[in-house]
Amino acid sequence: MAKGSAVFLCRCGGNVSDHLDLEALEVWVRQQEGVESVGIHDYLCAPTGKEFVSQTLREGAAAQAVVAACSPRLHQKTFEDCVSEAGINGGRVCMANVREHCAWVTPDPQQALEKAKQLVKAALRRVPLNVDLVRPRMEVRTDVVVIGGGIAGIEAALQAAEAGRQVTLVEKEISLGGEMIKVEELAPLGECSPCLLAPRLSEVREHPSITVVSGATVTDILGFSGNFTVVARRKARYVTDACIGCEGCFEPCPVSVTSPFHLGMGERKAIFTLFPGSEPLAAAIDDQACLHLSGQECNACVENCPFEAIDFTQQDEILEIPCGAVVLAIGAEVHVPSDIARLGWDGRRNVLTHAEMERLAASNGPTGKVLRTRDGREPATVAILHCAGSLCEGGLDYCSGVCCVNALGVAETVHHLLPQAKVWNIHDRLVLPGAASENLRTKVQSQGATLVRCAHLDQVRIEDLPDGRLVVRLPDGLDDLEVDLVVLATGLKPGAATRAFATRLNLDLDVDGFFKSDHAVLNQTGSVVEGIHVAGSCVRPAHAPESIVMAQAAVGRILSRLVPGRTVELEALVSRIDPTRCSGCRLCVSSCPYKAIGWNAQDRVSVVNEALCRGCGTCASTCPSGAIESVQFTDAQILEEVKGVLHA
Amino acid sequence: MPEFEPDIVAFVCNWCSYGGADSAGGQKMAYPANVRMVRVMCSGRVDPEHVAAAFREGADGVMVMGCHPGNCHYRNGNHKTLRRFRLFETLLGQLGIEPARFRLEWVAAGEGKKFQDVTTEMTETVRALGPLRIRGCVPKEVAYVQA
Repeated sequence: MAKGSAVFLCRCGGNVSDHLDLEALEVWVRQQEGVESVGIHDYLCAPTGKEFVSQTLREGAAAQAVVAACSPRLHQKTFEDCVSEAGINGGRVCMANVREHCAWVTPDPQQALEKAKQLVKAALRRVPLNVDLVRPRMEVRTDVVVIGGGIAGIEAALQAAEAGRQVTLVEKEISLGGEMIKVEELAPLGECSPCLLAPRLSEVREHPSITVVSGATVTDILGFSGNFTVVARRKARYVTDACIGCEGCFEPCPVSVTSPFHLGMGERKAIFTLFPGSEPLAAAIDDQACLHLSGQECNACVENCPFEAIDFTQQDEILEIPCGAVVLAIGAEVHVPSDIARLGWDGRRNVLTHAEMERLAASNGPTGKVLRTRDGREPATVAILHCAGSLCEGGLDYCSGVCCVNALGVAETVHHLLPQAKVWNIHDRLVLPGAASENLRTKVQSQGATLVRCAHLDQVRIEDLPDGRLVVRLPDGLDDLEVDLVVLATGLKPGAATRAFATRLNLDLDVDGFFKSDHAVLNQTGSVVEGIHVAGSCVRPAHAPESIVMAQAAVGRILSRLVPGRTVELEALVSRIDPTRCSGCRLCVSSCPYKAIGWNAQDRVSVVNEALCRGCGTCASTCPSGAIESVQFTDAQILEEVKGVLHA
Repeated sequence: MPEFEPDIVAFVCNWCSYGGADSAGGQKMAYPANVRMVRVMCSGRVDPEHVAAAFREGADGVMVMGCHPGNCHYRNGNHKTLRRFRLFETLLGQLGIEPARFRLEWVAAGEGKKFQDVTTEMTETVRALGPLRIRGCVPKEVAYVQA
């Protein structure tokens, strides 16, 4: 004979008992089957109430408890702990919500009493089927892999390494720096970007806990939080670590190619670094351009290297890097509006994107910080067009939220480099978050920039003048502008790899194609997959300060979750598959939102990975064989509740 | 005129709709006592068999409520709920159950008012339909009260 239930009724200081006749309910409960004892208390959640519950359970013979009080969303955990005090597992308590779902919403006392009976009956019928909840604990790795070596990735790596974690920083380019290293002055504060970044790069280089893997693309991430394996393909560099980046081989190298680092506006040799002082310091050889690697007789770099660092025998490598958590900081891409003809960008006209303009203004840029038009003239007049390629037909259909500040930053940069130049900012709604951005607006105006409000930016046309100059045709009766240079304040779009990562890792993308946070308010740097964190412009277009804060937040969560020597508590409410009933149809595999169900090919059955399962139970209702049990929410438990609310 | 009091079972997800009911409670928004909640972690846990069982056990109406599409606590469990029950609704008629006896709703944890509205509407709808009678099932005792 199964042992009965102890029932506790809470007056909640009148919140329940003023609307519901608890004494009548008590009388009714005593008559119900399987009731061991009934008690009423003024405040069950108060210390005296909790003591009342645990004492009753300690002294009585009940095997489980029903607490008729408030919402389990409020106090389920309270009473789980409370029954545990009495030596009964927390899983053996069931709440009947007679406050929010009954006393507070049922003005008629008789109806309230009837409904309370139904809710208590449901709990009484279900609770004998409840099981002990055991939260399994798992040993975890605490090392971190950071993917993306821009400012967000660099910051994440440094923060995690400072806490003593082993960090592998994987970057697809030959060295770190991302987009930030391509910019000289960071709007809105005008901070010198290389001055901020160079010391950070040195810290990464010298940190004993950070391994930089550059020229590498991540091809897969296997496993789950606390136990990932990141698989990356590292391209052969053909230059060993002996290289210190002295650049002695650059001059002798006979091959020049267009430099993507300079956005096609400058050249580099077949052996190159992105900029002096890069991390790693070593140069790399472009195997598509190198004569030796194309089978020709050339050893110019080998002959001129004082460190014997050239190694043409290197091969691409596949690396498998174990870790406990991953930070995705893969950035975003500039949206070049090349297919919007009216904006005039074709890579030849004197129309530059904001990013191209920044390269020309950068000391590590193709012109070494000399601002010239594409046809080599010093511009006397510059028009900066806001929202270029955004919020218009054929463009991005969202506001990136960073381009207005960038556009004002361009005005300031032009003022610094060419103080005599005349500047117009053509804008509609200015998106200038924060006081610093607003201060930049007044600053560039005081420097002589003219802000032209144009309500129909989508009708602005850039047209050629015969002398290579341009005319900006403005709608709404605004005067056209004849200028030497047009700069397009372009928005950011998700990087090419974003979708591929999302598909492979089961991450969600937001409506604009960026990584969707686990929660837009509560957990911006978490992804929907536990253990995979996101930071920087791959979450939303972000300036450096915001990217850095996101990286710090992501690492904060990693450090608080994966602590060396400590195991991690897993979800107790999970799904379990009975292999003897599983027909191997695999409908559950595709139904699981967390890819927590795998396939055992040998036994031809589906298997739940309890480290990934979050207990939603969707698989249980998908299974046509009834082979899946959703712990604490089994079909039998649900059915007993249904019977309870219908037959009190 | 005697008035029929229907029994309505509402399967609600823990994160949104159960919270919506809690919100209605917290704001003392009265709704018919005919509607009784059965809590599940996700609306995706609700199996059409649970709904069928509720009808079999004597429910005159059944509701399934979950998070709004896009807001599921478990990413997309509610999308599965939607697919599953759109199909189920087409079967109800064939079982001799008026489709209006079943209702799928998205109620967020903050939407106490919506919870009050949909449960009130559902009660009125089912009250107007009268007690559920399914061929082959023993009709339950129907309680009529004096209106």
